[in-house]
Amino acid sequence: MALQIPILKIEEFLIVSFQTELSDREIEELRESILEKIKEQSARGLIIDITALGVIDSFLARSLSSIASMANLLGAKTVVVGMQPAVALTLVELGLRIRWNLATALNLEKGLALLRKNLREEVTSLG
Amino acid sequence: MKKLAKEKELTEELSGLLEEHASDLKKQWVKEMTEMGLLEKLTPVEIDQQSTAIYDTCVLTLKTGVYEAAKKYAREMARKGVLEAMTVEQIIMGMLKLRDVYGRFIFSKYQGDPEKLNEVLGIYEPVANRILSIVALAFVEEREKSIKEQQRAMLALSTPVLQIRDQILALPLIGTIDSARAAQIVEQLLNSIVATQASIVIIDITGVPVIDTAVANHLIKTIQAAKMLGADTIITGISPANAQTLVTLGVDLSMMTTRSTLRAGVKLADEMLRLEVVEKK
Amino acid sequence: MGEEVLPVKSEYDIIYVRGSGRNAAARIGFGAVDQCRITTAISELARNAVVHARGGVITIRTLEDDRKGIEIVCKDEGPGIEDLELVLAGGYSTVGGLGAGLAGARRLMDEFDIKTEMGRGTTVTIRKWLR
Repeated sequence: MALQIPILKIEEFLIVSFQTELSDREIEELRESILEKIKEQSARGLIIDITALGVIDSFLARSLSSIASMANLLGAKTVVVGMQPAVALTLVELGLRIRWNLATALNLEKGLALLRKNLREEVTSLG
Repeated sequence: MKKLAKEKELTEELSGLLEEHASDLKKQWVKEMTEMGLLEKLTPVEIDQQSTAIYDTCVLTLKTGVYEAAKKYAREMARKGVLEAMTVEQIIMGMLKLRDVYGRFIFSKYQGDPEKLNEVLGIYEPVANRILSIVALAFVEEREKSIKEQQRAMLALSTPVLQIRDQILALPLIGTIDSARAAQIVEQLLNSIVATQASIVIIDITGVPVIDTAVANHLIKTIQAAKMLGADTIITGISPANAQTLVTLGVDLSMMTTRSTLRAGVKLADEMLRLEVVEKK
Repeated sequence: MGEEVLPVKSEYDIIYVRGSGRNAAARIGFGAVDQCRITTAISELARNAVVHARGGVITIRTLEDDRKGIEIVCKDEGPGIEDLELVLAGGYSTVGGLGAGLAGARRLMDEFDIKTEMGRGTTVTIRKWLR
């Protein structure tokens, strides 16, 4: 099934925007597409833009978390950007049952800055 | 059983009569209200519409014994544009007038039969009184609601989030913080982070006398939520006494970055931002 | 007193019932954050029913007597929840296991009630009041 969600590339990073609510199946397909693209493009970072999401339940939180873990194995760090304040509060209240191992930034610009910074640090720590 | 059936019969008879004489009684009611000056601010159309609505609702309530319609109408009266031009006092006087009109009518119809009169009044009075208290209550509740909203607005004003640098917000907290206030503060802060795109928030609690588990948990919640928005939080102004309380309470302090004064907090924030700038170069 | 009855069988129903819940919450007068809490709690209940009980029925009710609020009931005819205590404590052996979201829903709402019977099903009732 063709996925209508575009995955964009900026520098060495991929950007995905959740525009609407996705069904479970669509989330899985998206995850596959993302991971493939990361491999294909040798992406070093992934930005997931959730500005449009008004709800993140424990399932979606886990899905995002697993996307990040898998992306990490492929060498890409994930940053989630654009969380709505109400969603942020609700997630915190939902509790630490959700493994939130994701870096977060306010918006796309800051997310990219964070990814660039990460990349630099990696390079310097190895060098 | 027999009593119930009789009550039902009388109720039907009474509501039937009130429906039959609706036009006359309404006219009487409106006339008396006008004489008292209660309807000065209303248009003739309004008077006609609302008096009919109220009259019919009352008779319906009497007939069915169900107060939903009355409650609904009372709420509309208290809330929306219905009878907006009348004061609460005028509306209640108007309802009392209607009760009088009904009462006098009942008296005139049954005065020849004192026993029956008693029975009919026995059915009518509780209903009339209940309707009145529903109306009064609706207004009281609406008033309370509006007071609460005003308080909330004032609270919002008294919890200013200050932007002290391009990327830094400061939130000096003063006084005791209860649950409602805490919730409002957190929301305001998060919205400010989004609005100003701040990366660092300094929450100063010098002015908060008592830090208990609840407050501490709210602070932790705030720190975590702010992190979701990409902002780091520095807590400043924890007194030695409060520091002891927090540790003793076993609050998870690993989440908190703290400094003893607001000034020290700002200095730290500057350093954190400067580091970022340096790195960019 | 408004009431909506919505069957949830598939993951798409979860999305639908969230929307209904949000609309109801907004109509009642809940603010942005509470709307989010309510919608998220509904999502947890709905998902639980769909994933672990072959579906269920969600009823969204406006409460309007003494004070205003919202009530959501999720009834399923699934296998029932065996270790209710554990589930409500927020623990679960497998990630996303049965009842996983219920502990979360409970934290987000003011009132939480659950009745479960092995082999018969589970009914969860949650409420939130306007402040």
